[in-house]
Amino acid sequence: MAKRARSRSTNTGNGNSRLKVRDKRTLGQLRNLADGVVTAANRSRDPYVDIPTRSLSNVKYSPRKRIIEMGKNTNRRQLFNLSQAKSYMQTMLVGSGCKRLIEQGKTLSIRGLYYMLKHQIEGTKENTFEEQGECDTVIEDTEVLLDSLREELHLYADKRGDMVGNITLIDSGDEIDCSRMGSGGYAIPSIVEPEVIQFDRKKTTAKFVLHVEKGTVWQRFNEDKFWKKHNCILTHGAGQPPRGVRRLLNRLHSELKLPIYCVLDNDPWGYYIYSVIKQGSINLAFESKRMAIPEAKYLGLRSVDYSRCDLSSSVTIGLTDNDRKRAKQIASYAWFEKKKPWQREIQMMLDNGFKLEVEALISKDISYVTETYVPERLRKRDWLD
Amino acid sequence: MSPTKTKKKTKAKTPTTTGRKVKRTTNHVGRVTRNRRVSKNGSAHKKGGSTRRRRATAQSMAAAQRDISVSEFFAKNRHLLGFDNPRKALLTTVKEAVDNSLDACEEAGIVPEVWVHIEQMGNGRYKVGVQDNGPGILKKQIPLIFGKLLYGSKFHRLRMSRGQQGIGISAAGMYGMLTTGKPVKIVSKISIRKPAHYYEIQIDTKKNKPEILNGRGDGIDIPSGEKGMKIIRKQGIEWVGHYDAEEGVTAKEVRSGTRVTIELEARYQRGRGSVDEFLQQAALANPHVTLHYEDPEGNQNNYVRTTTTLPPEPREIKPHPYGVELGRLITMLKDSDASTLSQFLTESFSRVSSAMARRICGGAKLSTRARVGRIGRGEADALYQSIQNTKLSAPSTDCVVPIGDELLLQALAQVLPGEFYTAATRPPAVYRGNPFQIEVGLAYGGGSTVQKVTQEALEELLGETDSRTLRQFLITTFNGLGPDGAEKILQESSMGTRQSPGRLKTKEIVQLHSAMKNVNLDEGQSMQVLRYANRVPLQFQHAACSITQAVLKTNWRSYGLSQSRGSLPSGPVSVMVHVASVWVPFTSESKEAVANYPEIQKELRLGLQAVGRKLGMYMRRRQRVKQQGERRNIFLRYLGEVATAVSTINRTNRDDLYNRLLRVAEKRTAEADVKLDSRGKVILDNESEFGDNVLIVDSEPHLSA
Repeated sequence: MAKRARSRSTNTGNGNSRLKVRDKRTLGQLRNLADGVVTAANRSRDPYVDIPTRSLSNVKYSPRKRIIEMGKNTNRRQLFNLSQAKSYMQTMLVGSGCKRLIEQGKTLSIRGLYYMLKHQIEGTKENTFEEQGECDTVIEDTEVLLDSLREELHLYADKRGDMVGNITLIDSGDEIDCSRMGSGGYAIPSIVEPEVIQFDRKKTTAKFVLHVEKGTVWQRFNEDKFWKKHNCILTHGAGQPPRGVRRLLNRLHSELKLPIYCVLDNDPWGYYIYSVIKQGSINLAFESKRMAIPEAKYLGLRSVDYSRCDLSSSVTIGLTDNDRKRAKQIASYAWFEKKKPWQREIQMMLDNGFKLEVEALISKDISYVTETYVPERLRKRDWLD
Repeated sequence: MSPTKTKKKTKAKTPTTTGRKVKRTTNHVGRVTRNRRVSKNGSAHKKGGSTRRRRATAQSMAAAQRDISVSEFFAKNRHLLGFDNPRKALLTTVKEAVDNSLDACEEAGIVPEVWVHIEQMGNGRYKVGVQDNGPGILKKQIPLIFGKLLYGSKFHRLRMSRGQQGIGISAAGMYGMLTTGKPVKIVSKISIRKPAHYYEIQIDTKKNKPEILNGRGDGIDIPSGEKGMKIIRKQGIEWVGHYDAEEGVTAKEVRSGTRVTIELEARYQRGRGSVDEFLQQAALANPHVTLHYEDPEGNQNNYVRTTTTLPPEPREIKPHPYGVELGRLITMLKDSDASTLSQFLTESFSRVSSAMARRICGGAKLSTRARVGRIGRGEADALYQSIQNTKLSAPSTDCVVPIGDELLLQALAQVLPGEFYTAATRPPAVYRGNPFQIEVGLAYGGGSTVQKVTQEALEELLGETDSRTLRQFLITTFNGLGPDGAEKILQESSMGTRQSPGRLKTKEIVQLHSAMKNVNLDEGQSMQVLRYANRVPLQFQHAACSITQAVLKTNWRSYGLSQSRGSLPSGPVSVMVHVASVWVPFTSESKEAVANYPEIQKELRLGLQAVGRKLGMYMRRRQRVKQQGERRNIFLRYLGEVATAVSTINRTNRDDLYNRLLRVAEKRTAEADVKLDSRGKVILDNESEFGDNVLIVDSEPHLSA
């Protein structure tokens, strides 16, 4: 397969001509893929593709870069293998779909591509794709296979996550002042590459970014105008943040040098969200380089908050067996393994036997989290790294 | 518990009130017990001038107590012999007569030919005539055989035969007599030169004795030749004088034989548990027999033998010591003519050598030279215990004659349509000292009886049935058609399940018939179990039978059939199970179900598993072939898409690429066609891979399959 090295300059330039250069490279990759099939057929061999494995077994934590990197393992996908025939066909379909998008200079959501490619296979009652989930994994496979990012394939995901705060940016030529976004905030688009979004450094005064787990908590912070009081940017990713949100946080951190603080639920799910923001995800390890923020900090919620904030037992949620299993799994990840405070944190949650949602703090007072909890953590510089 | 004679004596001594007229009563058991309690605890009652009337006295009861004749017992309990209802009575009568005929022929070494004739004589009355070409019966024996219950040659010996007790045919005669008042008519001829005997017999049920009605209690002799035939015909007996003429040869005269004619109250109905089915199944298990059958509608059915070799004559054996209970041992001791104990043991039992006899006697602390007549109860008990503790070899098993794998396969293939046949014969085994042997045959595939029935036959069946609903009619008439199958048929023909079968219009019958032909019943069909005991088909009480239980307990899922818990497996499959034994343990005198001995159960299981394994191999192969077809299909299905996608990307010629890929796919699946099986052997498409006793018929797949 092609070299993994990716030539990319973050500098601004003539967007249009760069687009073409990038697209040429992607088209070349696609053509290589197709030629492989023709060659195999001509030699009456089995056509196959080797797809880099996207699982824990094939990721490596680089302690130097402090991010998760993808290993060299690949999975072979063959056309003449009963269990792989369909996904092989789907891979080729996605390739052909992207080719059409690039040629026409259009972009589609991944759901759009699913609809574009979904049809009944001739002479059967079977569909090329039965549901979008099938298509999404194949798209991710194609990304790693072609060593091309999603936007390079002219695809984007449904957008999720909002932003508000003292920052002004230019999105596709429109100037957006995120301090004048009302109660709804600025919806973070799926593609936030410099070609689409540029920051206006002069009009940006924010000193840090506070990332919260979900919209409800974000709403609380926004209503209390937390970002105004503390001069910051407020984001959320509706659970596990999508790539757009992660890439934006990464750019805010690396280009504007803003520290990132996270307020997440005190449960394995929250820990893993933090892990993804900080080191990158296992599934998309190939994107870590431009997504991960090794300096991101975990403000809360902490297991100790139950006693520290004097919460009532009625706001706790018991751990399920699944939670315990997941917590132990997370504790054993290489990037958590050597961090004593984190090991203590996870152990404490297991000892507590319950998890806490950020909303639990509301039981103290509606604005406890925005007026007391977070300011106090920030003041005391009390966070996990 | 009915009062015994000893009780009667003690009763007589107790004081009783007298002078009352005693009413005879049959229901006296309860009263006796109460009476006894009173007389024992006399204090419980005021003595003498009690106002309470005593219901019966010992004397009065003694007057009612008398012998019960076997005939009376069975006349009352005719269901025990298989005369529960008119329909079953007809079958049982035919069955008993045919069984006897076949036994007689085989014992005399004559290749059996049996004529069965059923004729309707009026409302609910039928005349059954069964004739064989056997050795005939001696004049003086005829009345006893046909007119006395529990009289026969088969009870006292251990030899594999169809009949066992000597009840069957005389009971049938008795049933006929009780329901129509007509005597049993017997014509028997022992030689071509000698005149035939003709008897009309009634059973004196009280005495269990035959009463001869014709010829002033002596029967009549019928001269041979046309003159005799005339006399016979006059009596309403259809004596068959000649065999069917073969081409170019004059018909041979029947040299000897017996014909029994019984008139009885009955009902003729085809379908499951019918005479037709019995004869068909009997033909299946007796390939050396020719059956001629004329049904009440005058249809002539002939089941012609496929072999003229008689099965080897089963040897009669002496009982095995393990199979004898203490009571029987004592009787045997009493009846024995042997002088010494050792002689008794070696002569009356099988597998007892003089060395073994010495060991048994040693164990019982008795002398080998002890006089048999002097052995008392206690000593007999010691002897019995000693027998149980002595290790004896199992009884010889050559006395059991199985049908044989080859004949079984042939017969199965002839009677049941299918694509795969297999048979397995277990080595003989022993239960309670009686040798027995299990044979299992299995047929898979082919349509069910439902699909073979013609429209005319269906019309007749609809007319005869007493089922109230169509669904019930389908289930009870056709073998192996479960409720699911019936539902499917009715749905296809768009008829209500509760429609009355008798009132269908011709158009509806046509509709039903075409539905029966077109519905794919492979799934809804459940396994057909054909049960045999000593070559006699068993048609009733499936649930009580050890054979059915063994079939149910077998896990057919591992052999590629679907089976829900506790029920018969489904699919177009028939299993034939034959239990051969010198003494088949039936659950009742009507001989409808085999009793559940663990040893028999075990052999049945092993036999069923043996055929199951072969079926499993066949099913797996079928599955493999199917899978490879599917495999190729899957590849072909996606190839087009791949070719289109690739040509979109790099603009290669789509069809060219498609054809190239197609060639690769064919190469790949061709390799898969000769894939190795689990044991690393190349799978060949023939019977040899299944081992012996397998028959595969290449049949065209059923249209609806």
